[in-house]
Amino acid sequence: MMNQGVNTQTISSLDPNSLENRYAVDASKGQTSPYLPSTTGSEAASWTMSTVDYRPSDNGHLSNATYHHEQHVDSSTINVQEGVNATSLASSSNHGTTNVNQEYNGYASYPTPTDPYGYGSTGYPGYYNGYQQQPNYSFTQPVGAYQSTSESYQSTSGSYQNTSGSYQHTSASYPNTSGAYQNTGAPYQPLSSFQNAGSYAGPASYSSTYYNPADYQTTGGYPSNGYSNQTTSWNDANYANYASHQYPNYTSDTTSAYSSSNTATTSLHYQQHYKQWAEYYSQTEVSCAPGTENLSVSSTSNPACPAPAVSGGYPTSTSQPQPTFTSSWGADSSSSQMPSLQTGAAVCGAHDSYWKHGSSSFQDHHGSPMQPQFQKPVDSKSFYDTFQDQQKTASSQGSNSQYHASNQVTPSYQEPSQTFPSADTRRVSKLQIPTNPRIASNLTLGLPKTDKDSSTTSVAAKPAYISVSVPKPNDAASSILKSGMFPKSLRGYVERALARCKDDTQVAACQGVMKEIITNATADGSLHTRDWDTEPLFPLPNADVVKDLQSPALVTSLPKYKRSPSRRSKSRWEPLPEEKSVDKVASGINDTVRFGGWLHVDENDTKSIIGNHESKEDGLGNIKFPLFEKKSASKIVQRPVKRHRLVNGLNAADSSDASDSDKEQSLTAYYSSSMALADTPDERKRREHRSKRFERIQGHRSQINHFKPQSAGSGNLYTRRASALVLSKNFEDGGSRAVEDIDWDALTVKGTCQEIEKRYLRLTSAPDPSTVRPEEVLEQALQMVQNSQKNYLYKCDQLKSIRQDLTVQRIRNQLTVKVYETHARLALEVGDLPEYNQCQSQLKILYAEGIEGCHMEFSAYNLLCVILHSNNYRELLSSMSRLSDEAKKDKAVKHALAVRAAVTSENYVLFFRLYKAAPNLNTCLMDLYVEKMRYKAVNCMSRSYRPTVPVSYIAQVLGFTIVAPTSKGSDEKEKDSDGLEECIEWLKAHGACLVTDNNGEMQLDAKVSSSSLYMPEPEDAVAHGDPSLDVNVFLTRTSS
Amino acid sequence: MSHLRMGEAHRRITEYLNRFYDGVSSQDGASLRELLSLSSNSNYLLSVADALDTFQDANRLIDNFSDFLGPLFRSLHSLRLNNLLDSYTNFEKAANAFIQEFRNWEWTWALDPLFVIVYQLRVLAERADRELASNGKSPEKLKAAGSFLMKVFGVLAGKGPKRVGALYVTCQLFKIYFKLGTVHLCRSVIRSIETAKIFDFEEFPEGDKVTYMYYTGRLEVFNENFPAADHKLSNALMHCNPCSEANIRMILKYLIPVKLSIGILPNDWLLKKYNLVEYRNVVQALRKGDLRLLRHALQEHEHQLLRSGVYLVLEKLELQVYQRLFKKIYIIQKQRDPTKAHQMKLEVIVKALTWLEMDMDVDEVECIVSILIYKNLVKGYFAHKSKVVVLSKQDPFPKLNGKPVNS
Repeated sequence: MMNQGVNTQTISSLDPNSLENRYAVDASKGQTSPYLPSTTGSEAASWTMSTVDYRPSDNGHLSNATYHHEQHVDSSTINVQEGVNATSLASSSNHGTTNVNQEYNGYASYPTPTDPYGYGSTGYPGYYNGYQQQPNYSFTQPVGAYQSTSESYQSTSGSYQNTSGSYQHTSASYPNTSGAYQNTGAPYQPLSSFQNAGSYAGPASYSSTYYNPADYQTTGGYPSNGYSNQTTSWNDANYANYASHQYPNYTSDTTSAYSSSNTATTSLHYQQHYKQWAEYYSQTEVSCAPGTENLSVSSTSNPACPAPAVSGGYPTSTSQPQPTFTSSWGADSSSSQMPSLQTGAAVCGAHDSYWKHGSSSFQDHHGSPMQPQFQKPVDSKSFYDTFQDQQKTASSQGSNSQYHASNQVTPSYQEPSQTFPSADTRRVSKLQIPTNPRIASNLTLGLPKTDKDSSTTSVAAKPAYISVSVPKPNDAASSILKSGMFPKSLRGYVERALARCKDDTQVAACQGVMKEIITNATADGSLHTRDWDTEPLFPLPNADVVKDLQSPALVTSLPKYKRSPSRRSKSRWEPLPEEKSVDKVASGINDTVRFGGWLHVDENDTKSIIGNHESKEDGLGNIKFPLFEKKSASKIVQRPVKRHRLVNGLNAADSSDASDSDKEQSLTAYYSSSMALADTPDERKRREHRSKRFERIQGHRSQINHFKPQSAGSGNLYTRRASALVLSKNFEDGGSRAVEDIDWDALTVKGTCQEIEKRYLRLTSAPDPSTVRPEEVLEQALQMVQNSQKNYLYKCDQLKSIRQDLTVQRIRNQLTVKVYETHARLALEVGDLPEYNQCQSQLKILYAEGIEGCHMEFSAYNLLCVILHSNNYRELLSSMSRLSDEAKKDKAVKHALAVRAAVTSENYVLFFRLYKAAPNLNTCLMDLYVEKMRYKAVNCMSRSYRPTVPVSYIAQVLGFTIVAPTSKGSDEKEKDSDGLEECIEWLKAHGACLVTDNNGEMQLDAKVSSSSLYMPEPEDAVAHGDPSLDVNVFLTRTSS
Repeated sequence: MSHLRMGEAHRRITEYLNRFYDGVSSQDGASLRELLSLSSNSNYLLSVADALDTFQDANRLIDNFSDFLGPLFRSLHSLRLNNLLDSYTNFEKAANAFIQEFRNWEWTWALDPLFVIVYQLRVLAERADRELASNGKSPEKLKAAGSFLMKVFGVLAGKGPKRVGALYVTCQLFKIYFKLGTVHLCRSVIRSIETAKIFDFEEFPEGDKVTYMYYTGRLEVFNENFPAADHKLSNALMHCNPCSEANIRMILKYLIPVKLSIGILPNDWLLKKYNLVEYRNVVQALRKGDLRLLRHALQEHEHQLLRSGVYLVLEKLELQVYQRLFKKIYIIQKQRDPTKAHQMKLEVIVKALTWLEMDMDVDEVECIVSILIYKNLVKGYFAHKSKVVVLSKQDPFPKLNGKPVNS
């Protein structure tokens, strides 16, 4: 608890934005943790719930906080203080009690608001929804709730990690912290249990078990349940980790010990809390009662789970997991079996009971609780990934499980998946390692692993795998390990892919395809390196075709066992381009198998439950995915890894550099919490859609980015920027976020590219400094473009890339104005109005900022544009009224105003005089109106003149010929005759009736023409109305 | 701000709360009005605001409607402290809470307080924007108020007795949109008011109808749809309370240019009575055919006319001034030689314009003549060869008679 409090503080110091949020979160955590010990979990769980919820609300991601919000805030603040206090206090138990009291107060306030949905009020909209919906979709909703909670949890965990990193905990403190984590985890579980209770009428036993907090505690089965969840979700690998970690941890806190210790410490407190909860629930809803109980139960279970997951597992996950892996593997083999459920009975009787109850559903739930914890670390690490994950609540469970697995399995693996944050987590883990005596053994292994490249980790994993493989448990373990290897982004990818599926057959087909992808990817070794977030989704496969592929994965839970061996063998047999990849592949396979089994079960149980399906599917999809992706992504794969390593290395190297990492983490936490809030199905859908839009390009980009070796600083920057981007996305989504809170300056790119020429490519991801040109280079580039003899398309492309680089680096000065002015002029010269408009609108802003430029020239253009092309009087009025007196004296502006007057009065004579005398590029804009004006003029003349009008006069008035008869020469005459010819052509083309009079002069027969004039279809018209887009024009332009 | 004693502050706040609760329980909308008119600067509210300043923990005293009253107190308090931004944000929160409550109230008594809230929201937003602008930040609160009012409109616009209030909110929305220059947003509101078959427009309150007509009339002016603008603005003028001269002036400000452009000139006393001096020279120019006067008048009031949006309308009167000028020439020619009066030499017109210090050459004048004939302000034709305008012998200068100039 102390640790947590400290953590929060540190975080806060680093990120002002995140500070508050973190603070609240941490505080809550701190409180929760104390609670756990004291309350034995049930209350603690409830507390954590509230706290968790608070965090999001505090963060303000969603304004959902509603009633509780304020109160929560209060409580959170209190908690924070407490947490701080706790930090000062060494003894965890004491802290726990104190915290409990404080929280208690907060709690009291909670009930008062009298929200029907006490839980919902906690601030998770998703949760809320889930709660209400439970009757309908018990499964899916729970999932959503889970996710939300999990997200919050994650955020907390992230903070926790930080704190842990900064503070090496003594063993005693560590358990406490773990307890806190558990609590947080517990809330999740309760939620799930809630839903389960609602949805699963059948599993009375389930509910009963849940309800009996005592049972849970006593048996320790609850924790074990949590475990089992983890194991299931994690797939054996995670489980194994868990087992190793947790068990050691557990021993202190673990199930039996756990419950006993907790009860002993604060059994009284617990009961009290419990009562309160019960009351609360009763007040809110009767149905809640089970939930409350669940909560309590979950809390207990959480302790068990959290200890591994949170303390060691998550933050330390990299380091600890590995240790756990190696060490645990042997010992844990039994535990590893647990994932398989039947075999896995070893973990706890409770687990078994759990399994039996829920079977599939149960597992999911378990997985979900676990997931939250897991997810949190993961999320914190890779915002993007988490984003996607979060988007799919349903998938979250499955994905989470995988996620966890990946994290826990091997640090190296985690790195790829986690990408940015991973470094931080590693650091944390390292720090923690020394602190935890239990973990210490693990640590030894884990530390080296973390520090070392993935190869080491992979090696470590391998042995475990092998050992596991011998017995069935081994298989499970290996699968777990492997599963652990999957990057979260992959999970997201799978989720996305599966989200498209409309029915089971499609899902199955998708799974088949994804499996292939993943196998390929693993074979390539690109599983982790590939940017799954940007990976384009494969076309929806024909269900029938793919069925074959699917069948293995899908078949059933039973098939898992059978198949898993085969797959394992596969993995073993497969040539290992990289050890990692092999392991990953194997894990992937195993996961798939299991998942498939899970999926089946789930599907059978609750086809109606979309959420569950999705989650399961996701899990399956994920598994398959990795394989699939590896194939195609092989090239890309390595880069991300590199970066991760770099980041990790950096973090490891300078643990003192905590500020950055903390910042990141805080951001991530922030983000994740916000994610949770924004996790409504609609939102998810939309986000998914959005993310899909540019997948391809993104992939390309990201690849490029990855390829370039980045300095540590740049790496950090990159991650920070990415997180900021995510944040901004959040803001967009949430709408209520204050963007000012982001320190954009710290996130701005500083380009390093020295190339003068650069093609424009629309950015779809965070810009890479190595492809961005600094200001000096951009100046040269502008020079180059200005002096270039190449065609407009080339120049336009170059200027756009210059503009992009300027924007990305947030350079707004005279150079920026120059670039936009140059581009605007070029665009005007060729009549490229869309491009001109872009520049013009930017220039308006730049001028408004007081940057020098050709302001008058462009306000004249602007006026002309409004007059001639928008034909919007209101706009014209407003732009006229905005003109300063000074501007009205400017030659260009005067001219534009005169043109305006000529146009509104349809004075063609004036118009064409102004046309001839236009300064700057005003002519270019007027050009676009000439045709219209001429037509109007001829129309007018044919009505008002009788009997005829000489064509020479028309040619002169309408600007066909030059109106300077004073300076004559042969050339002039020729020109005049040219103009006359042109005028005749034009008049004929517009249906005018021309006659020749006695003097041989061409005349317009006004009366006849007045009824025969028409506006001819422009010959160069193209279907979409923009001649500049004409294919032929384009081809000729580009070829020139 | 006088420093109150705690007890007094406490008493004032509880009294306020009691009045509020009484108003709600007795469904007395009028009494709530006063309590909610934050920006009215009534002595009573000022005293409550002072009390809030002294007694910081006012939320403790609220035992009902805390979602509404809490932010309301904070808003009142920050308004007293001249923190307009906070005042607005809190008031919006309060308004939001009120809307939530309002949804559940079947009867229309709460429309009164709702109107007050809507009005206050807009006023506070405007003030907050001014504060923001003076601090160099982008003023966005009025925009926020606009989107909030759309929400309120959504609550009212459906079927049922509450629909009576929809027009009020619409008018407030118009005010916001016109102020922001986002007039295009009016369209959706107008559509939902005018397409509803269930509810007769006539059943809306008279004042709201006048406001509505005024704004929609202004929209028609923007669109240069003068007959429709004339209809709407005339309607507004007819139903406008004759005592509220400011409102009449506002209507006339748009109605007069519209009437001018369809050839109807106002009496001089009208312009005097409502102090519409900017139009006096314009009307004079139209009477005399004095192009110079018109241009000067437009130049003199250019900024004002551009802002009110009638500049372009008045500018188009130029053609009518030409018509008047031609007519004068025609009359003079007729006095000299009735037989040749219908033949008007171009050079005569150029000479006349030169007297008016209009620097135009023959080609330009020819163009003007051509346009006048084309627009049917002059009946006849132009003979290019001889540079003569041949006028119709019957009604060579037709009057507009309420029809706009052909365009």
